[in-house]
Amino acid sequence: MQEKICVAGLNVAINLKYNKTKNQIQKYVKDFEKQNLKIQISDEEFLNIKNELNYLSDEDIEYIYTGIAFYEALLNFNGFMLHSSGVVVDGYAYLFSADSGVGKSTHTDLYLKHFGADKAKIINDDKPAIKIKEDGIYVYGTPWSGKTDKNLNIKAKLGAIIFLERSENNWIEEISNQEAIPLILQQTIRPKDKNLILKLLDMLDLLLKNVKVYKLGCNISSEAVQTSYNKIKREV
Amino acid sequence: MKIKDGYVLRNVAGNYIVVPFGEKSLDFSGLITLNELGANIWNLLEKDTTLEEITQNLLKEYDVSEDVLTNDVKEFISQLKGANLIEN
Repeated sequence: MQEKICVAGLNVAINLKYNKTKNQIQKYVKDFEKQNLKIQISDEEFLNIKNELNYLSDEDIEYIYTGIAFYEALLNFNGFMLHSSGVVVDGYAYLFSADSGVGKSTHTDLYLKHFGADKAKIINDDKPAIKIKEDGIYVYGTPWSGKTDKNLNIKAKLGAIIFLERSENNWIEEISNQEAIPLILQQTIRPKDKNLILKLLDMLDLLLKNVKVYKLGCNISSEAVQTSYNKIKREV
Repeated sequence: MKIKDGYVLRNVAGNYIVVPFGEKSLDFSGLITLNELGANIWNLLEKDTTLEEITQNLLKEYDVSEDVLTNDVKEFISQLKGANLIEN
């Protein structure tokens, strides 16, 4: 059945069959008149994916591929996805990015423990949307948050992007644009279409001129949170 | 000679970045970083051209001898050929 949702400021009509995605979109349900985009996985497409990736359940296929469809379309609306766990503190969103399994969710979870759940919130635990707007660069929660349902239908100004790795000691350093570009491009959906690639690169250009990017080595401790937050925090 | 189809060059926050698109992005998912001279040569190579034409064009912009520039351009093009990015 078709649902109407509003995600990252876009009015989306989405056709869903399975409960997993239906549950994830609940916070985003909103009626609208003018539709920005429609997400539907055709039966044929669904079968092709199923044949190729036979380890995925039907509801996982729907969840993953509606997400990919949304994030590809987002490129046409001045936005893109960053594979990261996003935490909002004092109105700014900080995106901790790394390959799966490194510990980005573990680190943002420590933020909640350190600051308390009323001061720190997970905006999206795996795939937040970044949007370039006239008044600044914003992070939006979306229904597609990876293995967890940690996402919020809110937006916050992007505070910083942090690439995280495991380390015995806690350390953090700002990195150059030259270092940041390949790291960011590895953690987003790279479109095949030429115009969309150019749009992505132009958004990246604006982002890097306005937002700092860091590398963080961290262990699992409250001290790790202090090390990262003291360096990345933006004055409110 | 010219650059093969399937690559875009963009200046991203002061860095010249080449990224593949379409079918090319399936066998190569990385990116190439160029310096300014490389980016200028790349731009000229987006249309079918010759070593001579490239060098003459760049001589208008760079205050170096023709010999030095020709060598630089040759070296860059041989790197592009080595990476299989040039078609004749």
